Amino acid sequence: MYPIRKLKADRSIGGLIPVLGMLAIFGLSTLLFDITVGLLIGAVMIWIYGLYCLFVFLRMGNLGYLIVCAYCLFLGVMAVLTSQNIEGGRDPDIQFRVAWISGVIFFGVLLIYLAVTKKIKWRGREIFELAAAPVESAGDGYTPRPRPIGKVEFSKQEILAFARFAAKNLISIVYYGPRQVTFVPVKMGDEYTHPFRLRGSYHEATWINFDFEGEVSVHIAQKDYLDYQEPLEFDKLCESLGQLFIEFVELQNKGEGVRIIDRMDALRLNYFS
Amino acid sequence: MDFQTAARLGSLLAKDYAEDIFELLVNYQAISASEVATRLDLHIKTAQDFLEGLAELGIVSKEEILEKKRPYYRYVLKQERIQIDIDLMEIKRKPNPDHLSMLIRERENAGARFSVARSDDTITSVTIWSGEGREREERKIKLTTPQGRFLYHLPFPKAEPLSVGGVMQKAGIAESLAPEILDLVQLLEKYRVIENLT
Repeated sequence: MYPIRKLKADRSIGGLIPVLGMLAIFGLSTLLFDITVGLLIGAVMIWIYGLYCLFVFLRMGNLGYLIVCAYCLFLGVMAVLTSQNIEGGRDPDIQFRVAWISGVIFFGVLLIYLAVTKKIKWRGREIFELAAAPVESAGDGYTPRPRPIGKVEFSKQEILAFARFAAKNLISIVYYGPRQVTFVPVKMGDEYTHPFRLRGSYHEATWINFDFEGEVSVHIAQKDYLDYQEPLEFDKLCESLGQLFIEFVELQNKGEGVRIIDRMDALRLNYFS
Repeated sequence: MDFQTAARLGSLLAKDYAEDIFELLVNYQAISASEVATRLDLHIKTAQDFLEGLAELGIVSKEEILEKKRPYYRYVLKQERIQIDIDLMEIKRKPNPDHLSMLIRERENAGARFSVARSDDTITSVTIWSGEGREREERKIKLTTPQGRFLYHLPFPKAEPLSVGGVMQKAGIAESLAPEILDLVQLLEKYRVIENLT
C-alpha cells in the first residue's frame, strides 16, 4: 500500500535544466561549427558538472557524488578523444572501443545502483512528507517566525555525529556555527543552488536548528509550506518537523541510522522527486 | 515636578534670551514686558510670552497696573532658585496582573516581517506595514534582547494562546522585565500583529 501523499505532485523540471542546457548547447555548437567543436564544448560542460559533483562530495561527504564525478571525467575524456578521432579522420581503434564500452557499462551499472538505492537522492521531499504525516488538521496559520520546539539532552558530539550522517545521506545540508548546528533539507531540483549558499543565507529556507545547549527550533519557508496540497496547521507542522529530527538524532545515537533511511525509502518517492 | 511642567520650564530656559531676561528679573524690583523688550531688543510678543510662561509656572508673579491708558502687567521674581526635579519612577509602568494574564498569540496574516538573529534563538526586529495605498508606510521596530526572546516564544497563529506571563516564563524572562514586554505587546496589538483572546 502506498502512503498518502501530502505534498503536491512534483512537476518541477529544475533538476533537468543542467542536462537539457548541456544538450541544447551541444546541439547548437555542432550546428554552428561542427561535431568536433560540439564534442569539445560538451566535454567542458560535462567536466563543469563533474566539478559540481566533486564540490557536493567535499561539502556533504556523499560517496555517490564522487562516482558521478568520476563518470563525468570519463565521459569528458572520451568526448575529447572522439573529437580528435573525427578531426583526424580516423576510425576509433579497438582499444578505444573497448575502453568506451567497458567504461559505459561500469559506470552505467554503478549509476543505476545509486539511483535505485537513492544514494544520490536529496531527501527534502521525504522529510516534508514525514513531517506532515501526523498533522491531520487543516488550519493554515503560516508565519515566517521560527518555532522553538523544546530542549533536548543530546551532547554536542551526538548532534555533530548526526550532522555528518545527515549530510552524507543528503537528508539536509548542514551549517556549523559556534553554538549550533543547522539542518536545511533540500528537495530534488533545488540541489544546484542550495549547496553553494553560505552560512547566514539560509534563513529564508526551511531549517531545523540544534544549539549545543539543547534548544531545538524550526523554521518552515513559505515556498515549502505552499507545496503541501492542503493548508496544514502550521504550528503542528513545525512541531512535527522538529520532533522528526529529534527522533532522527535519537536513532542515529542508538546506531540505528539505517532506520532513518528505511523510513524515508518506505515512502516510495521516485528518484527525481 | 511632573514631566510636562519640567518640559515647559526646560523649553523656556532653552531660549537664547532666557538668561538676559532672568538677569533683568533678578536686578529689577518689577519689570513690564515692554520694558524687557526695549531693553533687550526683543519683540514685545516674545518678551510677553516668556514672562507669561514664567508666571504660569509660578516663578514670577504679575501685578496689573492701571496708571496708563491701557492696563498692563509688571512682573516680579518670586523664586531665587529654579530646580527641575523629576521622579522618573512616577512614569514607570507597574505590571498589572491583568495584563500579564492576557491570553495572546500572533494574529493570522499579520503581514509583519520578523528578522531572526544569527544565533536563530531570538528575533531582532519586526517590520510592520500600516495604511493603505499611497499612505502605506513601513515601520521597523528594533527589539531589546528580552523582547526578542519573548516574540520568539509567542504562540503561532491558530496555536493554543498563552498568557503574557506564560510566554515570559517559557522564554526565561525575569518578571522585573515585564514593563518592556508589555510595552511591546501593546504596540504589536495596536498594529494587529498580536491578538488578545482574553
